[in-house]
Order: sequence, then structure tokens, then C-alpha cells
Amino acid sequence: MSHWTVDALETDLDRFHLGPVDLDLAPGTATAILGTSGAGKTTLLRTLAGFLAPSAGRILRDGVDVGRYPPEERRLGYVPQGLGLFPHRTVAGNIRYPIELRTRDDPRPRVRELLARFRLAPLADRYPARLSGGELQRVALARALAADPELIVWDEPWQALDVLARYELGLVLHELREEEHLPVVVVTHDPALAFSIADSFVVLRGGRVLEQGDPASLLRAPSDAFVARFVGFDNVYETAELVAGAAGGLRAWLLTLAGPEGAAVPCPTLPPAASASPGWDGKVRSARPGPEGLRVEVVCDELLVTLRVPPPVTTPLPALGTRVRFGIDPASVQPLGAPRRREGGS
Amino acid sequence: MSADGGRAPPPSPRRRWPTGSLWLALQLVLAGSLVLLFLVPIVALFTYAPLSGIYYAADNAAVRAAIWLTLFASGISVLAAVVFGIPLGYLLARRAFRGRAVVESFVALPVVVPHLLVGLGLFLVLAIPGTLPYRFIQAIGFPVYDTIWGVVLVMVFVSAPYTVLASELSFQAVDARVVEAARSLGAGGATAFLTVTLPLALRGIVAGLLLSWARAVSEIGGLLILAYAVYPGGPYNGPVTSTVSVYIYNLFQNGDLADAASVSSLFLLIAFVLFLAVRLGERTGWLPWRRGELAP
Repeated sequence: MSHWTVDALETDLDRFHLGPVDLDLAPGTATAILGTSGAGKTTLLRTLAGFLAPSAGRILRDGVDVGRYPPEERRLGYVPQGLGLFPHRTVAGNIRYPIELRTRDDPRPRVRELLARFRLAPLADRYPARLSGGELQRVALARALAADPELIVWDEPWQALDVLARYELGLVLHELREEEHLPVVVVTHDPALAFSIADSFVVLRGGRVLEQGDPASLLRAPSDAFVARFVGFDNVYETAELVAGAAGGLRAWLLTLAGPEGAAVPCPTLPPAASASPGWDGKVRSARPGPEGLRVEVVCDELLVTLRVPPPVTTPLPALGTRVRFGIDPASVQPLGAPRRREGGS
Repeated sequence: MSADGGRAPPPSPRRRWPTGSLWLALQLVLAGSLVLLFLVPIVALFTYAPLSGIYYAADNAAVRAAIWLTLFASGISVLAAVVFGIPLGYLLARRAFRGRAVVESFVALPVVVPHLLVGLGLFLVLAIPGTLPYRFIQAIGFPVYDTIWGVVLVMVFVSAPYTVLASELSFQAVDARVVEAARSLGAGGATAFLTVTLPLALRGIVAGLLLSWARAVSEIGGLLILAYAVYPGGPYNGPVTSTVSVYIYNLFQNGDLADAASVSSLFLLIAFVLFLAVRLGERTGWLPWRRGELAP
């Protein structure tokens, strides 16, 4: 399997500029490109797939620059948003398409194998218009593999899937990495889904790479408030909010721990942990149960703080407007915009 | 008085639009009126022309020559629309270039210009001996004045825009991501066009071709000037004749109302059968371009 490297890649599209982007796509790894709408995720994928010409940088497949190759010569399985299935071909016809293009051999054995592997055999003669979301995903993947790609590039794989189909897709993507040993690149705006499969991340915003690394480092030290919220921190405070606080209050205390861009705080638990700091009083604004326990939102020193009661939840829901006492472990507060001070432990 | 103690009725909505059966009736009346209007001349023709008249028209050599010429020339003009019109529609749909709006206006022009003007314009350029374009088309063997080439030229001019516009819309409607997926799976540009883009756009294109054909066979204005009579020459080697439209016009001018109605009815039948065949072919999936919409 090929090792792909993206080296200082830049793309200009009308007035939008993407890059520079660096990626290392080793066989069997999954990389998630994260970002909100308009961040440049799809532009990056379309550049990789050969539909947009890079304005600078290189795309290397085992050291060979394929950045100027036409899409059909890149050996890259591109699954666009909406999957791009051929509506005028049956399931089997879709899967047969790349095989017919590549060889004069009888395509049927390979089609049968892929149909069986993705549990599509009973649907072989159906047209895409008559399939469910999960079935369509499997057809798209089977068709991409039929072309014997060296890299799978998938735009929004989880789009419009129900919970079960999402779970199933996660399994299939894992299988792709482990059995086919293919590098996989997925684009998504949902960090939770990305965390479920990816080894590394690129967070894009306005065409720029904001953050890049493995999930642990991304969670340990998000670079700014946007990234922190994006990767799932509930309590993110920008410096401007904190400087307004009076001495002795929560805001002033957080300011002492914050970086230049502010601070991100993982949900403090209720009742407070032993390592938690002095103890703050918050007025309950909402409380709702969920699979991860109870989420309680309180207002303290004009900051909205989300707290968590881990399961099993034995205490009753706190009443709205009542006061609860919570603590924040100073070591858990992530300064934003600072160099990653905790990474080396120095 | 009432059991609920004279409570006021619920306030009625400010506006009441027709609902249910009233709404359906309104639609039926409006749509039905138009269909009725379409039917009037057709019914009139068939009532005026007895079946025997239609039969005799079909048996008449002169009528058959006119019908043959019309079908032949319109066939060539549809072929020209395929060869030149579909690529133009594709270009307009998929490529951004300077002056595209101007090209699009020119494409729509033949639809809005009175067709006598088209005939006159073509006559002035191509049918007056001595001019450079006249000498050129004579030299390459495509004389247009009173020849089948003249008929084809006028027909292409007035009918090809329907194919261009229909192809443009159909190509625009093809999801570009589906085509990109094909490219990524190993199809070159031309292969992706032939295996994905064209099949997906085909239904709309065929509708445009049918319109083009209908427009071509019904043309008369331009033909009255450029090819009123058609002499044998080029691919046509039958007797001297004219297109069906001109032929019927002549019968009418001579006061042969019954004959005019008979020939009209006969031609109407032929056109109807052709249209019906295409529609049935689509429905049954025998013609390929609706597969995936109808099938399992």
C-alpha cells in the first residue's frame, strides 16, 4: 500500500485561499479533516482528488508527485458528498463500473466478492433510488474499492445517516484500515464522529490550518476558543470575558490560569472532586439527564458553567434557581493560545 | 340558548382559499379549457376529412413525395441538432467563458425572430447569384435555393435552438459530483461524458430533439422564401415537390379545402404515432434513459 504525503499544499479558488496544508497519510491510518462549513475541507479533498489544481505544494504518492495527474490516474478512491452513485446503474452496475474501465477480464467474480463482503448481494439489481442511507454508503465504498485505490478520501461520510448506520459505518471504516491497510481521509464537521475513527486531525478555518495532531494533543491543548468549542469543551471562556471580573470571583481566578486567548475547562463534576479548588457557588439554570449522567448548567460570576454528575445518578435533579457548590481542578484548566506547556511536562 | 351558554363561534380565518373538491374542480376547469382548445383544430380537421379522404391522400404519389421530403429533411435537421446542438448545450452548461450571455442570446434568437425574416436573410446571403457566399456553397455542392439543402438549412435554423436549450438544462441538472466520482474511479473526461453525463441528461435531450423535430416539420415561413418548391438534387431524387406545410398551404390557396384537411389529418396521424412510440418506449424501459427512475 502506498504512503501519501501532502507537502505545503495550497489552492486558490476564486477569492478563497486554502493552505498551506501538510499531511502524512501512512497505510492503515485515518486522518480527519475537521471544520465548520466554508472552512475549506471540500476544497482540500477536491485538490487531493485532482479536481482543483494546487497553486503551490506537492501531493506525493510513495515519493512521486501526483499533483498534476488527472483524477483518473491518481489511484485515489474519492467519495464525494452525497456519495456520487450512478442513478442509472444498478448496485452491481455501479460496482462493475471501475472494473470495466480498468481491465478486459470478466468483472463478475470481483463484483460478486464485493457484493458479498458488503452484504449487498440481495440488492444487486436495485437502483440507488430504492436504497436506504446505510445501503448507499456500502455501495459507495464497495465501488471505491473496486477501483483498487491506494487512498480513500471521503467527504462527510456520516451525512444523513441514522444512529445505527453511523455505528455500522464506523466498523466498516475500521475494517478498511485494518484489513485493506489503506490510508483513509474523512472530512466532517462533527468532532465526536471523527474521534471515533481518526488517528490524527487537521482543524481548518477560513482555509487555514488552525490545529493539527493526534486526538490527545488536540484535547490537551486546543489553540483557541474556536478549536476548544469545536472539539467538545463545554466551558470555554475568552480572555475578554474574564478580564471584566472582580477580584476574588471565578472570572479573576480563571484569568490567572488562562492563556492569551482564554481558558477551556472540562466539565467539573458534582459532587466536587477532592483536588478541586476552593469551591464556587452556582445558580442552577438547567439540568437534564443523558447517557453520560446528568448535565447541570449553573451561572457563577456571570459565567455559564456546565457541570456533570457521573452515572449512576442517585441524587434527585437539582431544582432550577437553587444554589449548588462546585469546584474546578486548576490542573484541568486548559490555557488557550499558549504554547503547549504541559506536553513536555517542563 | 345553546348548550355551551352562547359561546362565540371560533374566529374564522381571514382568507378562505378553496379546498378539497372545490380546489380540484378549479384545477380541472382551468387545465381542461386549454386541452379543449388544443383539441378543437384537430377534431375539426378529422371531421372535415373523411377517412376515405385520408386514405386517398396516403395513396397519392404527390402527397407521398411531400411527406417523404418533409420526414427526410426534418430527419437530417434533427441529426444536425444532435451533432452540433448537443455539444453547444454542453458547452453552455459546463464551461464558464467570456461572452456566454451573448452566445445564449444568439441561441434563443431563432425562436423569437419571425421566420419569414429568417428565410429572407438566408435568401439574401445564399441565393443571389454572384455573391461570395453563393459562389462558395455552389462550389462545395450545397446549393440552397429550391433544394433539399435549403429546406434543411431553414429547418435547422428554426429548430436546433430547442435541442441546445434542452441539452443545456439537462446537462446542468446532472450532479457534477457523480461525474467527479466517475473520473476518480478511472474514467477519462470523454469516457465519463459518454458513460455518465450523457446517459443522465439523455431524457431531457430527447425531449428537446422531439421539440426540434416538431418545429422542423411545422416550418413554413422561411420555406416560402428559400425553398418553396424542391427540385431533385443532393440526397433527394424524387419528383419536384414541396414540404407538407407548403403543400397544404398550396391546396388551401387553390380552394381544395377537403384535400388540405385530408393531407393535414394524414400528417397529423404520422406525427402522433411517432411521438407516441417514443413515449411508450420510455415508459417500458425499452429506450434506456429513464432506467433507475422506473425500475426496482
